[in-house]
Amino acid sequence: MKERFASGFDPFVLPFLLGMIFVLGYCAYGIVRILLQLPRKDRRRFLLSLITPHIILKNVWDIFCNCLLHVKLWKRNKMLGFMHSSIAFGWFMLILLGHIEVMAYCPDRIRFFYYPIFFNYFVAENESTIGGAVLFFLMDFFLLMILTGIVLAVVKRVRSRIFGMRRTTRLSLMDNIGLYSLWAIFPLRLLAESFTAHISGGSFLTIPANWVFRQFLGNDLNMLPTWWAYSIALGVFMCVLPFTRYMHIPAEMMLIPMRNAGLRIRHPRKGFARIEVLSCPGCGVCIDACPMSVKKANIKDCTVYLNRQIRRGNEKRIEEISDKCLLCGKCEAVCQVGVEGPLLRMEQRAMRKYGLSQDFSGLDVSLLAPAASGAKVLYFSGCMTRLTPSIGKSVTSVLHKAGVGFRWMDEEGGLCCGRPLQTAGRYEQAAQLIRKNEELILGSGADTLVLSCPICYKIFSQDYKLPGVRVVNYATYFSELIASGRLNPVKSDICYVYHDPCESGRGCGYYDEPRKLLGAIAGIAEAPMSRSESVCCGGSLGSLTLEFAQREAMTRKSLENLYASRADAVATACPLCLATFSRYSERPVRDLSEILDLALKSEKASDRTVRG
Amino acid sequence: MQNRNILIIGGGIAGMEAAGQLLRLGWEPVIVEKNERLGGHVAKWYKLFPDMMSAADLVQTLTDGIKEATVYLKTRVASMNRLKDGYSVVLSNGVSLQCSAVLIASGFHLFDAAKKEEYGYGVYDHVITNADLEAWFGGAPDNRVPANPGQVAFVHCVGSRDLKAGNAQCSKVCCMTAIKQAIEFKERFPGAQVWCFYMDLRLFGKKYEDFYINAQKDFGVHFVRGRVSEVSEDIDGRVVLKAEDTLAGLPVKLRADLLVLMSGMLCNSDTAALASMVRTEVDSDGFLRSRDNIYRINESRREGVFFAGACTGSKTVPETVAEARAAALDIHNYLNGNA
Amino acid sequence: MPDFGFSLSKSSSVSLDSLDLGLYGELERLEPGVKTCMACGSCSAACTASVWSGMSVRKLILNLQRGKDVEKMLGSCMLCGKCSMVCPRGINTRHLILSLCRIYKKQ
Repeated sequence: MKERFASGFDPFVLPFLLGMIFVLGYCAYGIVRILLQLPRKDRRRFLLSLITPHIILKNVWDIFCNCLLHVKLWKRNKMLGFMHSSIAFGWFMLILLGHIEVMAYCPDRIRFFYYPIFFNYFVAENESTIGGAVLFFLMDFFLLMILTGIVLAVVKRVRSRIFGMRRTTRLSLMDNIGLYSLWAIFPLRLLAESFTAHISGGSFLTIPANWVFRQFLGNDLNMLPTWWAYSIALGVFMCVLPFTRYMHIPAEMMLIPMRNAGLRIRHPRKGFARIEVLSCPGCGVCIDACPMSVKKANIKDCTVYLNRQIRRGNEKRIEEISDKCLLCGKCEAVCQVGVEGPLLRMEQRAMRKYGLSQDFSGLDVSLLAPAASGAKVLYFSGCMTRLTPSIGKSVTSVLHKAGVGFRWMDEEGGLCCGRPLQTAGRYEQAAQLIRKNEELILGSGADTLVLSCPICYKIFSQDYKLPGVRVVNYATYFSELIASGRLNPVKSDICYVYHDPCESGRGCGYYDEPRKLLGAIAGIAEAPMSRSESVCCGGSLGSLTLEFAQREAMTRKSLENLYASRADAVATACPLCLATFSRYSERPVRDLSEILDLALKSEKASDRTVRG
Repeated sequence: MQNRNILIIGGGIAGMEAAGQLLRLGWEPVIVEKNERLGGHVAKWYKLFPDMMSAADLVQTLTDGIKEATVYLKTRVASMNRLKDGYSVVLSNGVSLQCSAVLIASGFHLFDAAKKEEYGYGVYDHVITNADLEAWFGGAPDNRVPANPGQVAFVHCVGSRDLKAGNAQCSKVCCMTAIKQAIEFKERFPGAQVWCFYMDLRLFGKKYEDFYINAQKDFGVHFVRGRVSEVSEDIDGRVVLKAEDTLAGLPVKLRADLLVLMSGMLCNSDTAALASMVRTEVDSDGFLRSRDNIYRINESRREGVFFAGACTGSKTVPETVAEARAAALDIHNYLNGNA
Repeated sequence: MPDFGFSLSKSSSVSLDSLDLGLYGELERLEPGVKTCMACGSCSAACTASVWSGMSVRKLILNLQRGKDVEKMLGSCMLCGKCSMVCPRGINTRHLILSLCRIYKKQ
């Protein structure tokens, strides 16, 4: 092995070198800036996590799995997974192998940034050694891997449907420059290495290509332009990287350790939120997932575009996008990097200035207190249930049949749980309502709070502080009553498909309990998209600006998914889903409590005959 | 020789009246009715405003007029094809016939009150619709109607003027029906307090305002301007209504022994299928689109296809009958080349 | 001024000729649905807050249309969304209230 140039330098490395210095400088500046934006407590926590052994291991593992192998993407879509991991992992291996080569053959050159990248230009014939041949084979192998990935990427741009994506992101100008320079890098590398393969050596790709080129381009001087082109492509890519979606590559490597350190969004734009926004790869998986995208006009309101507009600082669009969203959380469920679309939007809503703010802190709740009685169980139905009386009636009927002594806390009206204010970004006001409700509940002497509304359930189970009171969803509570023999339902022949309400499903991860209850009282079928993939009914209170008429298409799409299960009827556990579906559904829609109450009716009749 | 057959889709009062007139004009009407008897909604009604005429009498009169017409009950139109001069029709009972004109008199269907979840129809024990009450007036037993009601509430505009219920239009007859039924109720239960919850009282026809005045003066019916927004049930099984008295500006609450929902009129669910069969259009309100809404309400935009009655919009009984007669004459003139 | 034994109080009638509709006009721009209100009162009857406050979206809209102050009512809205559920004209009442709170200027 010998080096071709004593200086170890050629001017063609300059574009790459400049790009590299720029991007490293930019990232270093970005990291410092984001660290400074973090609240002091979070910063400390993050820095400490970086020296905590088990978190370090987790970070490395997560970065390896997510950033290089794209494990999550593989699980979702094999073609996309292969495409991304072949490019990311292949490129990583090329860089790694380049460094190994330099370390192995000319360790003193490792201080040159560019040496591992352009190794084949600067050295001559080292495939003769066994180590060299293996390395060269691996280099060609990973290059081939990347090239297949690039071919797939080109195909995807032209026909995304082959990849199972109905819609992909529309790229900005900068994104396009980044995309084309990225695509150019690897074919150019193949070309450059092929031109030098008879000097530097090569393997199964580069040596045959070299033979072909030498048939008509015998002069060694021909090799230099291709190395220039390769370097320029790299340089351009790195120079535009901070202004394109490819910023997700460095950002995600930052996001993973920050998330593992337990950081959360504390500011709508700065710190952790900033890193999340930058981590969005613009893949557009959220577009097909978004229930609003059933209407073409709403596509530009998906999370990928929110991230883009936040990066651009387009306040008008940020507001529109943030306010329109249903906050169903599906984009977050399918997101490969874990961008919290709903939370980001709530934060944008929370930063608004209001000329007038509600204030509930002075509210005297004594008037709303449930009448004193010895009952240890409270039932809170929530505001919306008053518009779907079938739920309130069934829940109380079931509780009566089980002989549970309970009080219907808001039978005569009460306070809102605070979740609607929270989703509107009115955190302070929501907290005031929470305190007032806590006061009412703790003052009642009850030890169990049963909830039938998932919107209430989310905030009660996650934000309320009710020491000594068990907050329980009615599905769990009813299952327990059945298990303890206080309820003996007769299983119905009707087959239901269970629709996961957004707030209890993705909001609380509450998937199994309702199915357990439904399975015990009726037949059960699964929709093609269910659990975390469930499609919002379109009635969500999360959206501030969606008009009634704009929601119909979403409801119908959601129903289509449920009908595909071939169930006779739809079961849900949310007053809002019930009201929304009933409006358009051709099949019966029932709340879990109604189905249970129906299953108990027949039992009651038989009881009567036995008792005579 | 010209084909004398005229296909009439729908054997309600519009179809029957048109058939009677066409017979007299020398044509051979063929009525296709999907139910097992003629008369449509009116046959299920007890008394008709403003004269409180017996609905059964009207249906009988109309039935007498069409003795010579061909009537197919429990039958639907399976397919229809345009010929050079008329239509070739296949019915669901296997009969196929040729006719020179088609009259669509498919009428309306009553809004399904259970779709307004908040009123608890089908959930609470004492919630009925205007049609249920009318059937009860006519003698059909209904245990939702209490033996000795103290208070009764009528809720107007259920499934009318309501985007959420899928019908933004006014059904026009319910205000008058509510007042008619309120009076009939008071006649049966003089001691009961009757409350009408309305958004606007639309009493546009001959003698309608008199009914309103009578209801106020002679029967003491209470009128509250406000739309009931939610209904619950108390321990005794009585329904509890919440509304806002918008004129007094006060929230009001009422415990009632019976709640009557004034279901509105929607276009029949099979109308769209019919419309596509004869390639005519459905209007933005869901009803069939006439050539115009002033001078040619009876005519479709397709040659040889005519409309009568509530298939083009909510109508009262006298309006429907008058329109059916007009349609018969329109068809007669069209077939004689006088159109 | 001599004491006549009685005094004239400010007229409580609204002059439609000289209404200050600045706030309402701005609200119409932000939430055009407000124009379609037919004052049926569904929103007020359904309102969760109306039990303990004078909240009524119907009154709110009418008062704005007549150039009157609405601060007291606005202050008790919990945004629970029942009013938008029951509105027969499909008005997005939550957005209406949020928009109004944003543009509200204390006199």
